[in-house]
Amino acid sequence: MKKPSSGPTKKPLSTYRIFQTFLGIVFSGYLLWRLYQVIFAGTDYGPDTWARFIIAGLILGSVYALIAIGYTLVYGILFMINFAHGDIVMIGAFGGYFVFEALNLIHSPTIANPNEVFLNAHPVISVFLAFVVGMGVAALSGYLLERLAYRPLRGAPRLVPLISAIGASIFLENAAQLLFGPQRRNYNNPIEITRGAGWGIPISGSTVIIPYTGVLTVVLSIIIMVGLYLLVQRTRLGRAMRAVAENKSVAALMGIDVDRIISQTFIISGALAGAAGVMWGIHLGLVYFFVGFLPGIKAFTSAVLGGIGNIPGAMLGGLFLGLVETSGPGFLGIDFQLKDVIAFSILVLVLIFRPTGILGEVLSEEKV
Amino acid sequence: MKKQIITGLQAGAVFGIVTSFLFLIGFTGTAATLLGKPAHDYVFRLIPGLTAESYNIFNLVVFLSLMGIWAGGRGSHRQVEDANNLGKALTGATTAGALHGVIVALLAYLVGVLNLAHVQMTAYLAQLLPDAIQLFLLGKAPTEAAIWLFIILLVSGTIGGLAAFYLSKPGWRKSLLARWQGLRGKVEEQPNLQKLRSSRAFRPTVNAALLVALFVVPLGIGQYWNFTLGTVGIYVLLGLGLNIVVGLAGLLDLGYVAFFAIGSYTVALLTAPAPQHLLWNFWVALPIGIVLAALAGLLLGLPVLRMRGDYLAIVTLGFGEIIRILSRSDLLTPFNGGPKGVLDVGGPNFLNGLVSSDVSFLYLIILAVFLIIFVTRRLQNSRVGRAWEAMREDETVAGAMGINTLQHKLMAFAIGAAFAGLGGVLFASRNQFTGPEDFTLMVSINVLAVVIVGGMGSIPGVIAGAFVLKGLPEILREMEDYRVILFGVLLVVMMLIRPEGLFPSSRRKLDIGHEESPDAEKQEGAQK
Repeated sequence: MKKPSSGPTKKPLSTYRIFQTFLGIVFSGYLLWRLYQVIFAGTDYGPDTWARFIIAGLILGSVYALIAIGYTLVYGILFMINFAHGDIVMIGAFGGYFVFEALNLIHSPTIANPNEVFLNAHPVISVFLAFVVGMGVAALSGYLLERLAYRPLRGAPRLVPLISAIGASIFLENAAQLLFGPQRRNYNNPIEITRGAGWGIPISGSTVIIPYTGVLTVVLSIIIMVGLYLLVQRTRLGRAMRAVAENKSVAALMGIDVDRIISQTFIISGALAGAAGVMWGIHLGLVYFFVGFLPGIKAFTSAVLGGIGNIPGAMLGGLFLGLVETSGPGFLGIDFQLKDVIAFSILVLVLIFRPTGILGEVLSEEKV
Repeated sequence: MKKQIITGLQAGAVFGIVTSFLFLIGFTGTAATLLGKPAHDYVFRLIPGLTAESYNIFNLVVFLSLMGIWAGGRGSHRQVEDANNLGKALTGATTAGALHGVIVALLAYLVGVLNLAHVQMTAYLAQLLPDAIQLFLLGKAPTEAAIWLFIILLVSGTIGGLAAFYLSKPGWRKSLLARWQGLRGKVEEQPNLQKLRSSRAFRPTVNAALLVALFVVPLGIGQYWNFTLGTVGIYVLLGLGLNIVVGLAGLLDLGYVAFFAIGSYTVALLTAPAPQHLLWNFWVALPIGIVLAALAGLLLGLPVLRMRGDYLAIVTLGFGEIIRILSRSDLLTPFNGGPKGVLDVGGPNFLNGLVSSDVSFLYLIILAVFLIIFVTRRLQNSRVGRAWEAMREDETVAGAMGINTLQHKLMAFAIGAAFAGLGGVLFASRNQFTGPEDFTLMVSINVLAVVIVGGMGSIPGVIAGAFVLKGLPEILREMEDYRVILFGVLLVVMMLIRPEGLFPSSRRKLDIGHEESPDAEKQEGAQK
């Protein structure tokens, strides 16, 4: 099959190449100039601010990475953008929120404090429960989504499931808005991991805080990603998933139940999205019906950045996008309002200059 | 028997969850009001001493019974061969009704008890206001209400089973269908009608009648419908533009709103007094807006059009968001008014106010729609249009046939963008305002939905889609809170049952019908 990155005819390609090279030179020149400005001239921010940017970026990036893996898994198998994936993140976030709210009502007196609630008395169990419930409801909704909105459309032209996904996304957002109301809610963290609390590190005269919630997010997402890597590479299920991604009909001939594997892929990606949602809530503290939309789009961007279908690529892309989002505006010397513009511009640039992403896409030959 | 019970349990569970969900999002109350309006107007008004509350409850019971009948119908006959066995049908229906009733009754009981204990449920579930709960409990105590709800759903489930059984009896439907077709055939065979249809004056007469209707209608309707029709017209414009990009050329564009925004902002900045104070004439700004939008289409298209379909979708989505974020950023506030938008956008001057400007604006929109329909039709049947369709079917083959694919893609993109620009100019000028909130992603998705629901690549389809998606919700004003969620459901259901759209183009119909065949896999491979 024809590679999409090369043009169909010779003549427009050369003008295009000139255009591309010119753009590349201008852009890298600007980047180099900013690099000089930031490192040697130190005009805008001190090292402490940069440390803050990078810490925030790593935390945000690890959440994006988790969501991006979900996109990549589904795209690798079905070649569709699961547009509703961001809303599954939202469902997961709501799951964790309700667990914390419920545990906050349960009385659990300790010796130190007779009026203690369960949430603060047993923070580890509470966080664990929040993740279990958040991942559970998200996995369930991922399963139902596939079952109701995507499975009947298998084999239809590619636009059809995408529209269905857009419809499902609109449905989920508005169902959440109608059920829980449009207001933004504060995540009620256990007191041990209150937002903003953390270890202070002195850098160039001021303290940079590494938040506990951030450490929790990064560590947990690394654990989950390692687990997922082992699942995909070492288990029977993972082997079946890779086989289905490679070629559905041959996989079916080898005795793999393709529909079941696709369902399980959706369950796994839903669970990852749920974990990301709970992390989002614990670290950033806000949950409402629209909370998953932008992270979803950005996570898709990171999946494309890393090379779609490529799991390590999704992780790398997520971290990269997180870092760019927090430190990009400072680095480029533009307004922080425009951080999303930078994220989307990077997507456009990557797709123009390297359409296969940083690590290269892993898609079966017949589909590309 | 066992199979029937399982079918019944499945239907009961699904409907139990659906009814509970409808209650939790507050839809049951709205539906009851909606259903009860005619009942109130024609029946209850005549009965003295009836309170508003009691007929609300009556309407709710009607709504619940309808849900129950549906559930019973679903539970009664799934397998065709069982449709003749009344006992089996009733077993399924009753099981479905019972489970449906149990789930809803349990929910009602739980909510009722919590409500009596003065638990503030609205903090978590926004729609559970005490009034709504009282209505759902039929104004009774929790236990009593639960029993009543169970009985209502059980009985209506059984009725649904009976109804489904008799309605699906062989012959009943068939004879009705045959009679209908016979009637239609008779009418069509009428010699006078045939003569009328084949006469040369037929089509022009119909067209002229339509034209007259379109000329007369704006005069007679009020301001509200004027506005609504104008919105529908603008969506027809946008839909026709996107139809070229998506329906004809097969390029999925999720950032279509960007070109709409460029048209709007162009006319706003050129004619409004506020940020720029240029105060140009509308008729000068109009072509500039269209040209700028088309140029933006070219500029965006140049780098992105060689991407694969899904990537193109996400890049255009990104582009649309970039335009929106930029338009509301502090950076551009001195230039375009930022988040506050631009006020007092100028409009065309019609015959010095001879016709009221609202009405004449609607004429302008209708005129623009006609113009665009004409252009689209000519394009579609031209060499370019055929090249687009060939490209949509198979790019590689189209390239091998000597079609310059990049050039034709660019052309589609630019023409689509120009139509959006025109739509944007008219939109901003009619509203006399434009701002970043007019250009959210939802607009792109709405337009895409207009094209898809109507039928890709078909002009009547786009018009029908715009009426269904933009006009129908205005009629159902009571459903306001539920419009967007219904829109989502509609998109999914449409894809499931009629992916080719309401009025598919003949080509497209062939296409989709073909791809649902067993060798769809091969088709999909070939589509790349």
